[in-house]
Amino acid sequence: MRLFGTMGAEATFREEDFFGREEELSALLRAAIEGGRGTGSSFMLFGPPNIGKTMLLLKLREEILSSGPQDDAAARPFPFYFSFSQILSHPLALSQHFLQEYLGQLLRFFGDEHPPVFDPEQMCERLAAHGFTGGRATLAAHARYTAAGDGLSALVNAVSLPFAAAGGAFHPVFLFDDFQYTGKLQGVPDGTMLSILRPYIKSGRFAMFLSGSSPGRVTAALKREGLYGAFQMIEIRGLAPEASRRLWEKLCGRRRIEISASLYPRASERVGWIPFYQRLLAEDIFFRNVRVADPITLENLYATAVTQGKLNRYWREFFENAFPERARRGRAIRFLKRVMYDRFPLDTVEGALSLMGTSQEEGEAVLSTLEFKGLLKSDLEQLSFVDDPVLTDFLYWAYERGLLGKGVSQVASAIVQARISRTASEAGQGEEHQRRINVVKELMRRWDLREVPQLLFEYGPFREKFDRKGVLEVVIGMEGETLRTRLPKISSVSTGYRNQKGGPRFDFDLVAYGFLEGEFSEENLVVWAVDVVPERNLAARAVEHFENRCRLLAIEKGLLPDRFRKWMVLNESADPAAIDLAAQYGIHLSHPSQLRLFLNLFGLEELGGAAEAERPAAAPPTGAEKPVEYELVLPMKADSEMVAARVAETVAAFASVDADTVDRIKMAIIEACINAFEHSASASGKVRLRYLLSPGRLELFVQDDGKGFQPSSRGESKKNRGWGLKLIRELVDEVEIDTGLDGTVVHMVKFLDGGPARNEGAEGKEEGGAPPATE
Amino acid sequence: MKVDLRDDGRTLVVHIGGYLNSSLGEEVEKLVGSRMGCGARCLLLNFGQTRMVNSIGISFIIGVVEKVMEEQGRMAFCEVNRLNRDLFQVTGLTKYVRSFETEREALEFLSRSPEEGIREM
Repeated sequence: MRLFGTMGAEATFREEDFFGREEELSALLRAAIEGGRGTGSSFMLFGPPNIGKTMLLLKLREEILSSGPQDDAAARPFPFYFSFSQILSHPLALSQHFLQEYLGQLLRFFGDEHPPVFDPEQMCERLAAHGFTGGRATLAAHARYTAAGDGLSALVNAVSLPFAAAGGAFHPVFLFDDFQYTGKLQGVPDGTMLSILRPYIKSGRFAMFLSGSSPGRVTAALKREGLYGAFQMIEIRGLAPEASRRLWEKLCGRRRIEISASLYPRASERVGWIPFYQRLLAEDIFFRNVRVADPITLENLYATAVTQGKLNRYWREFFENAFPERARRGRAIRFLKRVMYDRFPLDTVEGALSLMGTSQEEGEAVLSTLEFKGLLKSDLEQLSFVDDPVLTDFLYWAYERGLLGKGVSQVASAIVQARISRTASEAGQGEEHQRRINVVKELMRRWDLREVPQLLFEYGPFREKFDRKGVLEVVIGMEGETLRTRLPKISSVSTGYRNQKGGPRFDFDLVAYGFLEGEFSEENLVVWAVDVVPERNLAARAVEHFENRCRLLAIEKGLLPDRFRKWMVLNESADPAAIDLAAQYGIHLSHPSQLRLFLNLFGLEELGGAAEAERPAAAPPTGAEKPVEYELVLPMKADSEMVAARVAETVAAFASVDADTVDRIKMAIIEACINAFEHSASASGKVRLRYLLSPGRLELFVQDDGKGFQPSSRGESKKNRGWGLKLIRELVDEVEIDTGLDGTVVHMVKFLDGGPARNEGAEGKEEGGAPPATE
Repeated sequence: MKVDLRDDGRTLVVHIGGYLNSSLGEEVEKLVGSRMGCGARCLLLNFGQTRMVNSIGISFIIGVVEKVMEEQGRMAFCEVNRLNRDLFQVTGLTKYVRSFETEREALEFLSRSPEEGIREM
């Protein structure tokens, strides 16, 4: 038997080309070396194509080889690099290639000459001299399986070879590249390779590094095989600015090209901080022999590279390989262009299929190829596409050139134009705004054809109807609302129209695509444009602006009025003129208090602390003269005091109370409830609570029908206890206790907004007794 | 997980999450009791994730302070929010245990002079 060698990616690896990623490298190296001590770990490196995963693995290999043994007794780590992308898709071919690579790399590891001809028998003999004796038996078995055409057994046999190491002179460290290809073996189910590798992974004695560009696929296989927990996921991203700068310096030196050092960050950003693109762009600059001294020259060179230079050629070949059939290639490019360049909001498979407009079978095939090639990640039903500026521009080129027939220079100048005119990120979009956007996004995802009171979208009428009403009245009132609106089934809801380059400006916080009646058809499509207002008060001008953008979007997408919904979510308040204008334009308007009701309907009360943030904004103003009263009856059981606290929080929210005061009110009512639970010995086992909200004050009553108590004599039977009343006095402004044989009422008053005797915390207060002094 | 432990053999760091009520207080007391009994000399309670504390929860914390004092160990609190700080002050806990803004500061303090751990009465 004779095995022929191939030159893999390792042949082209040049150590001096490796930049950055020092942290990842040192962590991985540590893990690789510790593998021999029985603490081996498994890692999954993932990231888009070209990001530098292979380089990282090859560099790791070099580092392991030069690290040497940690001490004399320890086995040396033997890094075995194997790329699954080189192999043929037949398991027999894979096993043969695997054996050949393993034997060859092991020989080199022992310092032997690279054999001129791959003669496995001879290699085994030479390896035996180094103490590696198991090769022959494996080769013999391989010959048997080959003769029988049994690929799977051959594969299992080949992968057992690393175990054949004798004498404990070394321990293999597996560096498996392009692992997603193992899912493409003929007649071998996806995940089989992982089952075969299981002993290595589970033993914890072999460090294993899998690398691939379709993490969704590989992680799904890991989960199926029950190995997911054994792996640490490491995402490989673009270079850090410093490493990227060093790489430019290096490339400029080697290629003798000139790029102004001040342009390095811009050049890096243009290519997404990806070293592979840096090299291609540098080659292009070299080829054109241009001195890059200013931003315009840089932008032009980049546009040329992406429309007719090396960057263009790379991606053209990529798509030609991925989609050999021309028509399908065109469809895939058009689809990707709409998603990546136009930022068509899309994150579900269903949405992707309808956007492609092909048969389900073809659409799925395209998605599968894109995922395999690492351009999109599919996590359950959720799709996410790679963020690659070069690919994005390439897609624009392919679309404009291929489908619209524009000339190269036309396309290039459009790219330059877009880049140069691109504005900086909008300021003032703080985390809080982003958080609110996420809350609305999550809410919309759950709409799913439900019917909700229309009043939730109409702030004007809502305020009119429920002005000065308490929360319970509002809740009950909303239940009685007969005018209801049916929400669509949302297929995708996306953020990110803000800050996008070029093109018509239709920037919204969220744009959702949904379908009425749940059917995915063009007639059923409905689009929602949503702005989550960042300003505290909404002015009429902002409504005008929103409406203008909506009209642009409607023109751009050819949307009919009844298929296009506009929604603004207020921050705190709105000018009357803004409310009127919104009604006039048919813009839905929701106040945070409406949004809270909305969230409650969808069980999203707790989402991201929404309640906390929206607390200060409330519909019914507290200037009302008439007190608002709520009642609640609680069973005396563990943790039901939290329900009392929640109601207190909701009531307080209608009085625009600050967070600290709300916490104090909640604590006070919790303590009063606990007291009743613990000491009343009530026969009914219930506590009655009343919340009385009037201008400037909140009164709380906690009543039980127990045996009553003497506050002064409430010395605790249990150690360290008896702080309840003291804490209550600290937390609220007034406390009154009315107790007798038929029960106790604790009456607490908290003044709001600087009412009389406002309690400002514990500063200057007496301190409690010595806690550690036991009774 | 409501209680998260980290023990480096010398210092036990306990992160208390959520609502520190009777059951959580008891859990903390038990955990600390078992660990302090077998080696750890310093205790740091981190309240960064504690949403709320009730009086029964506080009584368990007092119990923990007593236990550490009995064992002649040292102790500190960190990341206590304003309300809880007020409550600790009312119950007198702050007289016995020092409180720090960050876990790092607290650990630094615990690694320093042993006299300052639990203040002398």
